[in-house]
Amino acid sequence: MMDFSIRPANVEDCKDIARMIRDLAEYEEMSDLVKITQRDLEQDGFSKNPFYHGIIAEVSDQHRSQDGHTKIGYALYFYSYSSWIGRAIYMEDLYVMQEFRGNGIGKALMSKVAQLGLAAGCNQLNFTVLDWNKSSMDFYFSHGCFNITTKLGYHCMRCEGEALENLAQP
Amino acid sequence: KMEYKLRKAEPKDVPDILRLVKELAKYEDMEHQVALTEKDLLEDGFGETPFYHCIIAEIQGEKSSEDPNVVGFAMYYFTYDPWVGKQLYLEEFYVMDKCRGLGIGSEILRHLSDLAMKTRCTGMMFVVAENNEPSVQFYKRRGAEDLSEEEGWRLFRFDKTSLAKMATPAEE
Repeated sequence: MMDFSIRPANVEDCKDIARMIRDLAEYEEMSDLVKITQRDLEQDGFSKNPFYHGIIAEVSDQHRSQDGHTKIGYALYFYSYSSWIGRAIYMEDLYVMQEFRGNGIGKALMSKVAQLGLAAGCNQLNFTVLDWNKSSMDFYFSHGCFNITTKLGYHCMRCEGEALENLAQP
Repeated sequence: KMEYKLRKAEPKDVPDILRLVKELAKYEDMEHQVALTEKDLLEDGFGETPFYHCIIAEIQGEKSSEDPNVVGFAMYYFTYDPWVGKQLYLEEFYVMDKCRGLGIGSEILRHLSDLAMKTRCTGMMFVVAENNEPSVQFYKRRGAEDLSEEEGWRLFRFDKTSLAKMATPAEE
């Protein structure tokens, strides 16, 4: 059983968070969509009004990854709101480096997000999964969640770039 | 001709906000799902750390002595996409039936898009039920992309019971 620790992210973790964000994007086959920089993460997560919060999974030096990393997993979350039931927590990213999977680290990260959400008075934990990502879906289903897109027909929509600029025009 | 104005919600608007939330839920046949109370809305929107922000559309009554009527609202908050940064998330958006067709909805959307750009958000996000044809068309006409359809994103949820189970530390 591998020893690992789960702790809140601090500003010094942003370099590793940026690295793992790109890893996760690659796994999701969308790495060309990553525009964010380490500096963005520092500003957006660690100024007076953070836009997100992070948790890091860390192993001791003797268990470091092949590339020499000890920060080997993370979760990004923020607080949201449902007009029907109020406070909710949204888990934006959950990732464990491939060589460290199967050790309960993903579950521990998700547990932490759940704990923090409950402590803050949240009634739901929401997140998205890609429809082809069967192993992730199985992992989540095994912990008792359900698929709202299937159940209620909810689709995630976005207005960005030119469409957003046009909408903002008087 | 009905005059209306948009403004930031204040604590006194909480009863109207709840009224409109319930009206919209009724329109979606889900009125019994609204568990929020005025107390929750007050604490969560107007306390030290707001969980949401709200803009209100109100019309003036015909006689100048009548109270203005709150006829529409939008509830939003800021979220984060680790690939592109800040997003403005539109949680709820509703204009009362009697006031549709006046451009209030479009104006609310315009106001929020402008706010999104001013706060350096790269996108505005929201959820639509696929069987809500009028809403889907309303947004697609304005250039919204359906990420569930185009990229395969599925929205998942843990409700309170499963959340509590997951928060329990694993047995040693």
